[in-house]
Amino acid sequence: MYSKNSFLFFILFICIKVQAQTDSIKSDSLLLLQIQNEMQQQQTPPPQQRVGASANPDISVIGDFQGLYRSYGTHNADALLNEAELSVQSVVDPYARADFFYSVGEDRLTGRFSGAIEEGYLSTLSLPAHLQLKAGRFKQAVGRVNPTHAHALPFIDLPDAYVNFFGEEGLKGDGLSLTWLLPNHTFFQELTIEASSVAESPSFERSNKNNYLYLAHLKNFWDLSANATIELGLSAITGENLVKKTTNIGALDLTYKWKPIRYNTYKSVTFQNELYYSQAMLDSTKVNALGFYSMLSVQVAERLFLAGRFDYSNNPYSVKFVQESGSLTLGWHATEFQKIELEGKYTTMNQGLMENSYEKKFVMAYLRWIFVIGTHGAHTY
Amino acid sequence: MKTKIIIALGIISTAINFSFAGTIHVVATTQDTRSIAELIGGNKIDVFAIATGYQNPHFVDPKPSYIIKLANADLYITLGLDLESGWSPSLLVSSKNTKIQKGSDGYIDASIGVTLMQVPSSINRSEGDIHAFGNPHYWLDPTNGKTIARNICNGLEKISPENKDFFEANLKTFDAQIDLKLKAWTTAMLSFKGAKVIAYHNEWCYFENRFGLKIVDFMEPKPGIPPTPSQLVKIIKEVKENSIKVIITSPYFTASSSDVVSKQTGAKTLILATSVGAFDSIKNYYDLFDYNIKLLVGALK
Repeated sequence: MYSKNSFLFFILFICIKVQAQTDSIKSDSLLLLQIQNEMQQQQTPPPQQRVGASANPDISVIGDFQGLYRSYGTHNADALLNEAELSVQSVVDPYARADFFYSVGEDRLTGRFSGAIEEGYLSTLSLPAHLQLKAGRFKQAVGRVNPTHAHALPFIDLPDAYVNFFGEEGLKGDGLSLTWLLPNHTFFQELTIEASSVAESPSFERSNKNNYLYLAHLKNFWDLSANATIELGLSAITGENLVKKTTNIGALDLTYKWKPIRYNTYKSVTFQNELYYSQAMLDSTKVNALGFYSMLSVQVAERLFLAGRFDYSNNPYSVKFVQESGSLTLGWHATEFQKIELEGKYTTMNQGLMENSYEKKFVMAYLRWIFVIGTHGAHTY
Repeated sequence: MKTKIIIALGIISTAINFSFAGTIHVVATTQDTRSIAELIGGNKIDVFAIATGYQNPHFVDPKPSYIIKLANADLYITLGLDLESGWSPSLLVSSKNTKIQKGSDGYIDASIGVTLMQVPSSINRSEGDIHAFGNPHYWLDPTNGKTIARNICNGLEKISPENKDFFEANLKTFDAQIDLKLKAWTTAMLSFKGAKVIAYHNEWCYFENRFGLKIVDFMEPKPGIPPTPSQLVKIIKEVKENSIKVIITSPYFTASSSDVVSKQTGAKTLILATSVGAFDSIKNYYDLFDYNIKLLVGALK
């Protein structure tokens, strides 16, 4: 009897224990479920209204403050607000976008400011067959330096060959530009054809007849690896020169870039070269002139860049004139919106020029501080 | 014989043309949207992703070789919210492809419908890289993955309505899989709810919110500004005061500053995956969270 009661008591105890454990498991499961639900569903942050919906264009101002030292002349050290560039960029409608760049610059000799539309053009967005038409005032599609705004270049002064052939302001004009992305699936190829009334430059003059500047540029681009690329550009330009005859220029640009994808904000190397070969018809003669530069830029740290450049140049109207120079630029990029650069340059010429006080060998040093406010569009690769 | 070869070549050529005729060519800006698009689009699409999984999506070079891909794309998927503002718009314009321009049927903004975090009331660059529309790293919350998938599905249906049922079925499977996986991920992280961590860059707020972490501070003194000595001193103090075990960083940041803090405090630096493909084992969107959760759980124990 005793053992029977004990057995029943034992069974009852086990049942209670099991029930308790079941309740505990149920309770644990409920707790787990509750926490899971809390983490899955109640973690939603408070809804926040989206901002920024606006039809206003992207507007930015870029300041370019410079200090300059020359080893010749009486007033050989200077500081100036070299340029303030206002950019206004936006899509016009589903068919086109517009980009305006208004530049105000300070004259180094007089200290006076003057403004001009550096570029102002409409680009189509909806032409078939991978075509794009640009109309307005724009920088011509020759080489790497010309289409790039000065503040985005890795050096302060412009290459000698570029200045001697196209001038400080570069080659730009009013007209039309048609770009065609070639149907090449193996590598990138883009052909640009332009016709414009060119602004004055050493090689070309704005014609008072229906003589326009015509340009063709073929851009070729290859990925050598995930980290390395090479670009080859070929350009042909023809237009009226200062004696109302024709100048033809053939240009070649070759750029190698290395940038490790994973650490692309820390390291990079750019090896950039441009060559211009000009044939200027003069009244009784023909001048074949050459100019080129070669630049190596190395990103030595996340925010530190070092660029060395060698320049060689004739004058487009004198093959006897030879100018050679070497320069080194150190740039510190505080952020995407501010950088400080320091450049030293040594130049030799076989003929002295008035603007250089007829010195044949001289040193120049530059300091440049670039700063951007507002929203500025990305530059091309 | 010659005629037979020509006929055979013709048949092969036609067959090849037919086999590729129905394929939708998709370009995604990142590997995460590529993965989700592949899960929704299946064999009806082929996808090319521009940024690699171990690349900082803010800083991708707009290489002309990408333009070829965009020029021939039927669909373009962007994460939006200014994340790719430095490169995506210029690639789109250069592609000269009217099908994928913003506003076209072939343009998908994957962020539509996502509940955004850290939307600034005003923009001031003295605070570093502030995103006008809110923090753009929203794909690091798997529930937002479902929103991304919905957006991609809608886009695919617009340009290929005949495959609507197929895409919808895949979306349903994706959502179910995310729900299932989310339970496992949240359960794994249950014990660490409220765990304090340090992050390198402000890109983990959606992940933090979903999995119950508490980011105390960032190695960067301000978004986009590299760590300074004074910031490292501050971080070391915070790590010691809060007994923080983990510093989370991303594959594209150098470990030098995190290592300094680790050596001084004993906190472990974890390189979490910010995208699919960040590490070899992360093949798809599910793997991304499997990898990160496993790493975190191991370090927070």
